[in-house]
Amino acid sequence: MVNTQSSKWTDYVVFGLSVFLIFCLLFESFLELPVLVAWIGRWHPLLLHFPIVLLLIAIFLSLTGRNVPPNLLLVGVLSALLTAISGFFLGKEAGTRGDLLFWHKWLGSALALLAVLWYWAKSTGWHNPVFAKGIPLAITGLVFFTGHYGGMVTHGEDFLTLPTGKAPMEIPENPLVYAHIVQPILEQNCVQCHNPNKQKGGLLMTGLPGLRKGGEKGNTLIPGQPEASEMIRRLHLPVEDEEHMPPEGERPLQDNEIRILERWIALGASDTLRMDHLEPSEPLAKLIQDLMVPDPMQNWETLPKVVDSTLLRLSSDYLTLTRMANATNALKVNVYMPPKYDAQMVLDLIPIQKNIVELDLSGLPIGQKEMAFTANCPNLEWLEVDRTPISDVEMDTLGHLEKVRFLKVFETRIGDASLTLFRDWKDLKRLYIWDTQVSPQVLEEFKLERPEVLIENGINNEVRSFFIASDSIPKN
Amino acid sequence: MGHHHGPKEKPSLKVNRRHFFSQLSVGIGSLALGSLLIPDLFKGPSKEVAAKALGVPHFAPKAKRIIYLFQAGAPSQLETFDHKPTLRKRMGEDLPESIRNGQRLTGMTANQNKFPLMPPKVGFQQHGQSGTWISDFFPYTAKIADEITVIRSMHTEAINHDPAITFFQTGSQISGRPCMGSWLSYGLGSENKNLPSFVVLTSRGKGNSQGLYAKLWSSGFLDSKHQGVLLRSGKDPVLYLNDPEGLSRSDKRHLLDHVSSLNKMHHVETGDDEIESRIAQYEMAYRMQMSVPDVMDISKEPESIIKLYGEDCQVPGTYAANALQARRLAENGVRFIQLYHQGWDQHGNLPNEMAGQAKDVDQASAALVLDLKQRGMLEDTLVVWGGEFGRGNYCQGKFDPNNYGRDHHPRAFSIWMAGGGIKPGLNYGQTDEFGYNVVENPVHINDFHATLMHSMGLDHENLIYKYQGRRFRLTDVAGHVVKDILA
Repeated sequence: MVNTQSSKWTDYVVFGLSVFLIFCLLFESFLELPVLVAWIGRWHPLLLHFPIVLLLIAIFLSLTGRNVPPNLLLVGVLSALLTAISGFFLGKEAGTRGDLLFWHKWLGSALALLAVLWYWAKSTGWHNPVFAKGIPLAITGLVFFTGHYGGMVTHGEDFLTLPTGKAPMEIPENPLVYAHIVQPILEQNCVQCHNPNKQKGGLLMTGLPGLRKGGEKGNTLIPGQPEASEMIRRLHLPVEDEEHMPPEGERPLQDNEIRILERWIALGASDTLRMDHLEPSEPLAKLIQDLMVPDPMQNWETLPKVVDSTLLRLSSDYLTLTRMANATNALKVNVYMPPKYDAQMVLDLIPIQKNIVELDLSGLPIGQKEMAFTANCPNLEWLEVDRTPISDVEMDTLGHLEKVRFLKVFETRIGDASLTLFRDWKDLKRLYIWDTQVSPQVLEEFKLERPEVLIENGINNEVRSFFIASDSIPKN
Repeated sequence: MGHHHGPKEKPSLKVNRRHFFSQLSVGIGSLALGSLLIPDLFKGPSKEVAAKALGVPHFAPKAKRIIYLFQAGAPSQLETFDHKPTLRKRMGEDLPESIRNGQRLTGMTANQNKFPLMPPKVGFQQHGQSGTWISDFFPYTAKIADEITVIRSMHTEAINHDPAITFFQTGSQISGRPCMGSWLSYGLGSENKNLPSFVVLTSRGKGNSQGLYAKLWSSGFLDSKHQGVLLRSGKDPVLYLNDPEGLSRSDKRHLLDHVSSLNKMHHVETGDDEIESRIAQYEMAYRMQMSVPDVMDISKEPESIIKLYGEDCQVPGTYAANALQARRLAENGVRFIQLYHQGWDQHGNLPNEMAGQAKDVDQASAALVLDLKQRGMLEDTLVVWGGEFGRGNYCQGKFDPNNYGRDHHPRAFSIWMAGGGIKPGLNYGQTDEFGYNVVENPVHINDFHATLMHSMGLDHENLIYKYQGRRFRLTDVAGHVVKDILA
């Protein structure tokens, strides 16, 4: 009879804990937790695993028509109650709560109490076929949803969203420093723990008001004083330091991200500051510019794969073929004048044409064949054909090389027709065109039409005459 | 009696001790793993893979090559780029101990009982949109003020030439480590297989000079093919490169082919990698017989270019000639072109000597930047101008504002850089009003190296060579990239 006695005793515990849980839920706003009780709340993340496993095993046995060992169910129910109560304490500690915590609390409590109901029904032998299936199914649903909400509280709302290939954030032309630059950095690194649902240290980082209000000490952000701002201080601590943010195990902020936050705070942490308000010498301007320039490596990700043995095979003493950087399929080609030049050495590169982003043919006796080859390099960004015999005719073969940013054509015979051609190269940024047959008028027109293109038309006359006027070096 | 040789061993078993130990660790690993997974792995450590990972930048680089205009002997920052009016106001006053702050001095002035502050004899003006202060010794450099970034906050630890220049070249004051140029050659490989990737050109001014030694372009413990090649002025730019009279190029080719096949046999026997290096160097020398005379021949340069660099660039062995040569080498894909101009060690007679030294280098240095710019090469060529340390702000020797000297000074000095992903027209770093200590944005030599490597697409913390059980980097265990000066 030891068995019945002990089961009676445990029933009282289950009953008592249930009452306590209901009491907590009803009188939540009147409760003030002693420190020790709050500490018990910290055990919630450990305890919660037991009810999930134990109850799911019990449910599985029950639904497959097997016998549910009474002790298994008892321990499951007890752990569910303890988890709910400790979770309640932990939630109390969090201060302000959001929707996620609200749902987690009520679903979790419902789960514990429903488990108690099931335990009671089983132990009293009360049997109703609908309930016998319904309760376990309801508990399963509750386990899933409670767990999901709890997970979102801990790991952030988008923890389970499918990775979307991390689309690079679009920064508009003249970005607002706070909205387009600073807040996205915070979103990526801080908001996971400092949001309405999980306001660690009492700090809310989802918006400027929360940052200004600060955490427990209120000194998170002091406009104009990055050194005095707690968030900057913590970013700079060694990673091993307890107070370093983000905490151990999370990706630390990159140097440029920290500098952006610093400079933004130094400039007053305003949300109306725009890129064009910044002095050119202000480091923040440069930092933001860097963010806005797309990483070339990213552009090259879509290039077809090329293996090293191909590069070795196509290289020769006079043709250097290398990757732009490790782990990219973008290629750079430098051709040097061999004792006997033959266009074939360039044409041999046809199989890897799509991979060529930089092509240096300067100083070679190139002609129509090489230009036709070049025209078929769709990803070309950098082209050097200076000091070659090409003229407008060969240039015309190129047609539209849309991606070319950098073009060297100085010391060639190209003329106005070529310049008209370059007008449509929409990515063109630099043009080295001195010592060609381009007429000054057409060049002026080009400058008006494409003011963003930096044109190098030889050394400025005033400077040149300064250098040439006096030969100051005394002869020995 | 001579030795009696036993029956000839099978060549494949002839593995020398060095080869054996270097392969041992990998060998054991691949034995276990390789025999299980990939039978081919057993054939040897994946040497080829390692070789490929080298020779390619770590990330997309801004600069593809560097021209380093080294002013050997250490030009004074106070007569070049660091304008300090306080020195004139307090001329003759003793350098305050609060400023010197225990700085050790060289034996040349350590025994002076006074350290009277000495202002520069030369005037200073602001130039360009950037308002860069440049002394009147450098009228041509003043014209490129908006193309260059002046760093006034360089500092080093060494106080004597040899350790200081060795530090600049190798990242260590003690000889034996590979030079910057060798590290870059090791990390990035060659852009043009017909020329060495690291070339050195020297010239000498009339000022007080310090020696230059081959260790300043040594590859240290890196493969000897990465060492700098000194191109001399005159008939034989590279000694012993030309064939003896009567030997035709095809005879030379036959000779090389036979030597090479013998060397390859020897390599199979011993597995010593230096043999492969040697074969490669013979081939390189053979191609250089054609490429070097071609690149050194400035006869095709137009008059406008000659005048830009100054007429002296036609005189072989001058700084101006070397500067023009540097451009030609850069055009031909040499990665690291190191110029040295000796004669900047002004312990006395500073105003006169520096005027002469500045005349040697001013026009050609500025012309080089302008020439590179018009050729679009400033986009991907980094130019550096500077010495191994700075000079003291107090007078060395007899106090005479018209004829004074300055002793070595490690705590602050100025250099400039241009192109290759460096912001143009920037003034970076500041010294105190005495020009003695850095008060803003200090740049240590390790930082300088880290920044140069970054421009070339290399992460200075990830270009590592293991030698005698220790891992070495150019920046050893220090160095931060100076991001503020990057464009």
